[in-house]
Amino acid sequence: MLAPLAMSLLPKRPLHLPRLRTYVPEPSDPKIFWFNSERADILQDVVRRIMERYAADDSVEFVIGDAAYHEIRRLENRTDEAGRKGLEYWRGVIRRVGRMSSEGKYETLREISMRMAKDVAGNFDPRVYKFAARAVPGLLTGVMNPSRLMRNALDSGTRLDELVSVEGPMEKLRSLQRKGTMLLLPTHSSNLDSLAIAWVLFREALAPVVYGAGKNLFTNPIISFFMHNLGAYRVDRRVRARLYKDVLKAYSSIMVERGFHSLFFPGGTRTRSGAIEQKLKLGLAGTGVEAFARNRARGVNRPVFFVPATINYALVLEAETLIEDHLKEAGRARYIIEDDEFSRVERWVAFFKRLQHAESSCVIRFGEPMDPFCNPVDDEGRSLAPDGRVLDPGSYVSRRGTATVDPARDAAYTRDLGHAIAKAYIKETVVMATQLVAHVLFRRLCRATPGLDLFARLRHRGDIAVPMEELVADVAQARDGLRKLELEGRVHLNAPIRKAPPEQIVSRALDAWSGYHQKPIARILGGSVIAEDPNLLLFYQNRIRHFAPEIAGPADMQAAIEIAAMKGVR
Amino acid sequence: MSPPVGIVGGGAFGRALATAAARVDRSVISWSRSPRDSDHPKVTVSSDLASLRAAELVFLAVPSPHVPALCHELGRHLDGAHLVVHVSRGLVGDELETLTEVIRETTPVRRVGALAGPLVARGLAEGEPGGGIVGTLFPEVAEAVREALGGPTLRIYDTTDVIGVELASAFVGLVTLAMGYAKAAGFGPGTLSVLATRGMAEATRVIEARGGSAKTCSGLAGFGDLLAAMAEDGRPELDLGRALAAGESLDRAAGRLGAYVEGVRIAEQILHFGARNQVQTPLAATMAGLMNGTLNKEQAAAALMRRPTRGE
Repeated sequence: MLAPLAMSLLPKRPLHLPRLRTYVPEPSDPKIFWFNSERADILQDVVRRIMERYAADDSVEFVIGDAAYHEIRRLENRTDEAGRKGLEYWRGVIRRVGRMSSEGKYETLREISMRMAKDVAGNFDPRVYKFAARAVPGLLTGVMNPSRLMRNALDSGTRLDELVSVEGPMEKLRSLQRKGTMLLLPTHSSNLDSLAIAWVLFREALAPVVYGAGKNLFTNPIISFFMHNLGAYRVDRRVRARLYKDVLKAYSSIMVERGFHSLFFPGGTRTRSGAIEQKLKLGLAGTGVEAFARNRARGVNRPVFFVPATINYALVLEAETLIEDHLKEAGRARYIIEDDEFSRVERWVAFFKRLQHAESSCVIRFGEPMDPFCNPVDDEGRSLAPDGRVLDPGSYVSRRGTATVDPARDAAYTRDLGHAIAKAYIKETVVMATQLVAHVLFRRLCRATPGLDLFARLRHRGDIAVPMEELVADVAQARDGLRKLELEGRVHLNAPIRKAPPEQIVSRALDAWSGYHQKPIARILGGSVIAEDPNLLLFYQNRIRHFAPEIAGPADMQAAIEIAAMKGVR
Repeated sequence: MSPPVGIVGGGAFGRALATAAARVDRSVISWSRSPRDSDHPKVTVSSDLASLRAAELVFLAVPSPHVPALCHELGRHLDGAHLVVHVSRGLVGDELETLTEVIRETTPVRRVGALAGPLVARGLAEGEPGGGIVGTLFPEVAEAVREALGGPTLRIYDTTDVIGVELASAFVGLVTLAMGYAKAAGFGPGTLSVLATRGMAEATRVIEARGGSAKTCSGLAGFGDLLAAMAEDGRPELDLGRALAAGESLDRAAGRLGAYVEGVRIAEQILHFGARNQVQTPLAATMAGLMNGTLNKEQAAAALMRRPTRGE
């Protein structure tokens, strides 16, 4: 009761700490510590790039009109003071634009671009960073037990250390961060992802990153405070204006060009289905390719490294809302979910309480870094050909010896990169007990309902009972299949399930689910396990559906083929 | 001055490409494993893959089974500045891996494409009016192909649906084989038309399952190419189909034809892909059955006609 009350008393506007003494970065500090001193230049660069973009273009009036039209539509329903002022501004723009001279239009474009750039640009306060590094683990673990919040807040992150584990070429990543600009591209299944990644970067002595955070995240005042002061820039998906997208892309590209390590979620939003994201558009991450080309075209040789990463949870905080959204096929309509479990403190408490009992409840696995053209890189950051030869990445943005910036070409490289990252996601997936058990149970449901479509199957709530010994045997067999795939380097298993007896894997999964999700996913009744919530089973099993036919026995093969071929899973 | 055009493969199609490029005044480096004489003063013949380093655009004109190994070798001499376009109608493995994917995996080249459509070696070499389509995500690849081959007698269109172009092209081989068989088995125009149309419908299902666009099938890479094959452009698949219908064994007929027939392997590959991905592939299943001897003519026709009909 107290926690929601306390949350409601926190201010809605972003907090900035008073500037008592300017922090002077030291040479050993990460690049982002210089952000505030470069911020004004960055904003000017963004505006300059927008002006260049439209300099040789007769669509300036259209772009201004498009921005005004979309902003008026967005603001019309707002009743607050800021919304009213915004509406007034844009109505003024649309009234004047038709009568403006050419110079006037360009001046207005400059003004709007700066306005948008300022809204997007983040802030970095080293004091908040240092505080956050100490306090975030405590705050997170404190949520598990609010009465110990203060003690936890000041405590070190030992508990979180146990909960969040890290795998991958960490030494190489540390080395590459010193040699070029690193773009982290994690999978996205929870709003906790950015917190978990930020904590892990700190713990692993990796530099902090800047990233675009959806404005919906700023609805949680604590998270909002950290976002505002740790270099996150705001991405407002409700703003539909083409110019806003240009500003965002320019901002992102300039940050990478200047050497700020960045983080992007290439899936865009959280995976609704629970599946590993496979249709990646990369969006802003594509600006990494542009940034590399722009630097090369002006003779700057600063490598850019793309690092895929998977964030694997035993439990997903927002699983119920996400799968419901997926199944309603309302993902697009409800692109911005503001009322999910992430915004409800009592769900956080329940979530972390379950995590207390699980070892490595979250595994973050970093994949091998690659250059913007999908080539692997060595420890020195040099691009490597398939035969091991060192390549000049600049050759990819050159034609007949001259490096150029070419949006169509770079869009093609970005698409290739999307495929490479998607492949890496599958390979770097860490299978958790909950996913494995959910898969086996869901497969049983498919086997028992031949010929039915997905939605007909999902109506079979509580109809499928699997005798415990059969479930254990199936889990053992599926786990062995996954171990084989792991030996081939095609997937990874969370350490506790690699060797645990299968009955323990089943009990771990049932235990993790029990008490967190509002309805039971599965329960034991008379020596059998009843599949109670096919929706959530689907959500958790979707993570490993790609491997379904390869880990199925003959009796389950048809069901496994159907699972692997399920349409509309994204 | 434009850099030379590289061509890998000294078969009929490779030589025709070399002649077409030389006709628009481009110098050509033509690689083939066995030494041969040049057909044209602008064409330099080499058996050293390293010589292709000097080229910007390299065409791969070798049968699909040779592409992976050859690309491993070729990749040692190329880098990110090169553009590679293949002209093969084949696919690799049961996941229907396309050759542009193979090139990307086995070489450092990323700017890749597939040239397809009703391009016939003789027509290319003789400068007969015609056209083709290049599937590529990279505008400079389409531009380079046009520069190297396009001219008053050759129109090169382009599309970004690379996978659609490669799969449509491969399917044409399979449908051509089926058409050769059906024609020789005595089926009439109505049957042939249904076979061709439904065969290409099967192609669109597979293309969509692999993320391509169904529309590509109705263009030069699909129906355009099939029309050329039906107009007897010398496609070995047509002859192979006829030979099978006449009762000749697959090995014997393929051996007699000499050339590698891409359409033979494709039936099995598509069949496996369809089974795993829940895509209906009746033509591939029937042709695979005919080629491996598990179906005869009557059984094949009955298997296709027994299928339930539904909305087109």
